[in-house]
Amino acid sequence: MRLFEHESKRILKDSGIPVPNGLAIKCLDDLPSTVEEIGLPVAIKAQLPVGGRGKAGGIRFASTLEEALSETRNLIDEMIGGHRVKSVLIEEKMVARDEYYLGIIIDQLSGVPILMFSTRGGVDVNDIAKENPEILISRRTNISRGLFQFEVLDICRSLGLKGTLLLKVSRILHKLYEVFVRCDAVLAEINPLLITDEGEPCAVDAALDIDDNALFRHSDVELDLEMRFQDEIRIDAARSGLSYVRLDGDIGVIGSGAGLTMATADLVKDFGGRPANFLETGGGITEELMDRAVELVLRDERIRALFINLYGGINPMPSAAKGILRALEKLRPGIPILVKLVGNQQEEAWGILERAGVPVVRDIQTEKAVAKLMDLYEEYMCASL
Amino acid sequence: MLEYGSRIVAGVTPGKAGIAIHGVPVYDTVKEAVMKHPAHASILFVPAPLTRDAVTEAVDSGIKLLVVITEHIPVHDVMHMREYCESAGVAMIGPTTPGIISPGKTKIGIMPASVFVEGEVGVVSRSGTLLYEVAGNLSSAGIGQSSCLGIGADLVVGTNMKEILRLFEEDEHTRLVTIVGEIGGAQEEEAAIFIESKMKKPVIAYVAGRLAPSGEKMGHAGAIVMGERGDAMAKMEILGKAGVDIANKPSEIVDIAKVHL
Repeated sequence: MRLFEHESKRILKDSGIPVPNGLAIKCLDDLPSTVEEIGLPVAIKAQLPVGGRGKAGGIRFASTLEEALSETRNLIDEMIGGHRVKSVLIEEKMVARDEYYLGIIIDQLSGVPILMFSTRGGVDVNDIAKENPEILISRRTNISRGLFQFEVLDICRSLGLKGTLLLKVSRILHKLYEVFVRCDAVLAEINPLLITDEGEPCAVDAALDIDDNALFRHSDVELDLEMRFQDEIRIDAARSGLSYVRLDGDIGVIGSGAGLTMATADLVKDFGGRPANFLETGGGITEELMDRAVELVLRDERIRALFINLYGGINPMPSAAKGILRALEKLRPGIPILVKLVGNQQEEAWGILERAGVPVVRDIQTEKAVAKLMDLYEEYMCASL
Repeated sequence: MLEYGSRIVAGVTPGKAGIAIHGVPVYDTVKEAVMKHPAHASILFVPAPLTRDAVTEAVDSGIKLLVVITEHIPVHDVMHMREYCESAGVAMIGPTTPGIISPGKTKIGIMPASVFVEGEVGVVSRSGTLLYEVAGNLSSAGIGQSSCLGIGADLVVGTNMKEILRLFEEDEHTRLVTIVGEIGGAQEEEAAIFIESKMKKPVIAYVAGRLAPSGEKMGHAGAIVMGERGDAMAKMEILGKAGVDIANKPSEIVDIAKVHL
């Protein structure tokens, strides 16, 4: 779960990393008092749950209150990087002598955190890697052993930092690592770490991405799903423990397991259809969960056909079948629906669906089922002309 | 697993010592269980917040192969688990894996056994249910499998795809290997380097998620395209350049396999 910039900065500040004075606001009415508190000139920064904001025009500057009002008015509710801006961070505008990059990511292949440091900042780290690899240091760490001050000092020294600046920057990098570990982050980034004319470092932009699977032990991190997802179906899916991604077509896709669901959506496209969504149930299929999944996908008015593709390992398939029926009986959608379901007690599940008039594909190959779905879809679209 | 013929010698659930389930005795601790019943492998269904604890216990009790079925384990815990297993010379498969099956021989996993048939194709997958789909496609065309497993769908897993390919390359029961990949991470890219430099056996690959938009997490923690990195087409291209036969649909895996067998 990627935190908003202002949320990330609050955590960094609490950990002793200097950040600019700033306040996040959601409506224009709060701007004048905020600007008065921060002092002009200000930076006005769209709060988005994704990176790449600067390039997309999500950061504005203002040296008068009038400018600040007009820039903020333009920014709020604007679509940037596919997300609607719901809040902006008003911050003191800082002047940079230098800009550095500090980041910690997880190396997926070796399963260790990697520390990254560059004396070039304010741009995407991938661009630094491409254009100035000689000033980008990355160092693998050892999660059990931890990271020591002397190691960070060595990293910062190797790019020419000296004296008090060396101490200040290496302390910040070390603190960032502590935040990364303490918050169960998958990404902790300060970009840029600005160095003022007086040689003081300040984290003017920062991003923390907290592992979704670890949120249970971070009840202090308040997450506003509505501020993040903005798509009502997706918010409700997340609340029910379902992963939902909206696509641009008209065929609903529900699958058990992410790989199978992605493959199913790919196949719908290969057979000439356009998936409206990706909805994945995860491993723990129950009657309630299937009811919820079907209900969520059918809430989307674009849907003209629905394909459900399930494999049951541990979970009994008859409860999945009952959940599907429960949703269909409530909603009576009137569009073609096809279910393919394999695994634990499959015969009983097929019987339950077929007796209720829901077509079932008994073949194990998803391709055959998708071909049949497309026939049903064509028939339905012709009939409704 | 018992039905499939796997020799399950003991179960461990703290507080449940003394009972038996389907004739298998249950113990409070792994140490006690392995003292009475020497075991080579352990399958873990422990809830996510406790899995690191259970993995550490299993390693300390001398078990050399761990299959971690549990989903949604914090990735920092997985990093610790991986490091601890590596330092003790223990192989960890998963987390978020359906396990391992050698059709006709044994299984340590939760996969529906009916879709697997004994034969000569090794299948390694990132996803669980997509593994069943591919094995099912092969089986219904009369092509059996030597061993099939999911490496797990998390950001970090205990054993990378490359390591499984190394085992298949050495395995006398495997003539042909199929990779079932998906978007995100770099497992397929690392595998491609290994295949090009070290593998003699033919390899087929199928990669799911061509439709996935960039920046969206597609269900699995590891399934996310960042910019162009990790996208399905790029993975297929890299594998193709390494000499792997690319299947665009699960049924094409069958067509290609028939040519090789």
